[in-house]
Amino acid sequence: MLVVQVRKVAAALAITALIGGGATSAAFAQTHRHHHHHGIPQHNGGDHDSDNNGGPSDGDGNT
Amino acid sequence: MKPTTAMTARIITIALSTFVAFLALVAVAGAHPEGRDSGAPATGDTAAFAWLHPGVVPAGWTTRRLAGSPARLSAPPGWRAAAGDPGTETMVLRAPSGHIIGYLNATPRQGGERAADWPSFRLDHNRDEGLRKDTLLAAAGDLQFRSGTGSCVLDSYTTSTGNRYREIACLVVGRTATTVIVAAAPPSRWAAEAPLLDRAVSDFIT
Repeated sequence: MLVVQVRKVAAALAITALIGGGATSAAFAQTHRHHHHHGIPQHNGGDHDSDNNGGPSDGDGNT
Repeated sequence: MKPTTAMTARIITIALSTFVAFLALVAVAGAHPEGRDSGAPATGDTAAFAWLHPGVVPAGWTTRRLAGSPARLSAPPGWRAAAGDPGTETMVLRAPSGHIIGYLNATPRQGGERAADWPSFRLDHNRDEGLRKDTLLAAAGDLQFRSGTGSCVLDSYTTSTGNRYREIACLVVGRTATTVIVAAAPPSRWAAEAPLLDRAVSDFIT
């Protein structure tokens, strides 16, 4: 009986942990996996984005 | 089972159940701090993005649709399309000197962009692009756009040629597409251009 009750409580704890994880997911992570490449040379060496020519940075992820 | 064992088991069960209930309440309160039943509440420095009010594109504005995407970028009269990466749209406003004094760009998500770490991704990416002195001014998540939810940063940087820009950069997650919208202007022009940039970001669809 004791074992069964403990198992039930453990299951409830696991579910609660999942709920709690969702609650904190809105916060920003401090770092991200740095896996995008340094692929576009500056000064119009690659594409023709303004950011290659001293203009504003576009929204590319540069993958 | 002896009576003492049963009593011990009951006490343990009640104590753990109470603890579980407490954790559940804390979790729910954290997920819905404003008591809202639908949609995640905005997080971070939301005051810096209080101008974000999704609405209808003003009359006279130009709207350009990204190829193969539902995303649409709108720009005020006088702004012109500019060259950019394939599949993206860029609209700029130039001074008589040719210097860019207003900039709008929409680019489909290309891989590593995620709402969860958008601020660090964006600043890291800007450094990769050769931008210097990039300063994060504000960041917020779970912001409501016309067609999805966005994570936004407000930051300021110096380009490789020494030009200084301030930008709003948002990763907007829509129903079928995730797109980055960037709105930028030199700090010296920010007060003049910000209302139009804010409007363009607010009206963005993805």
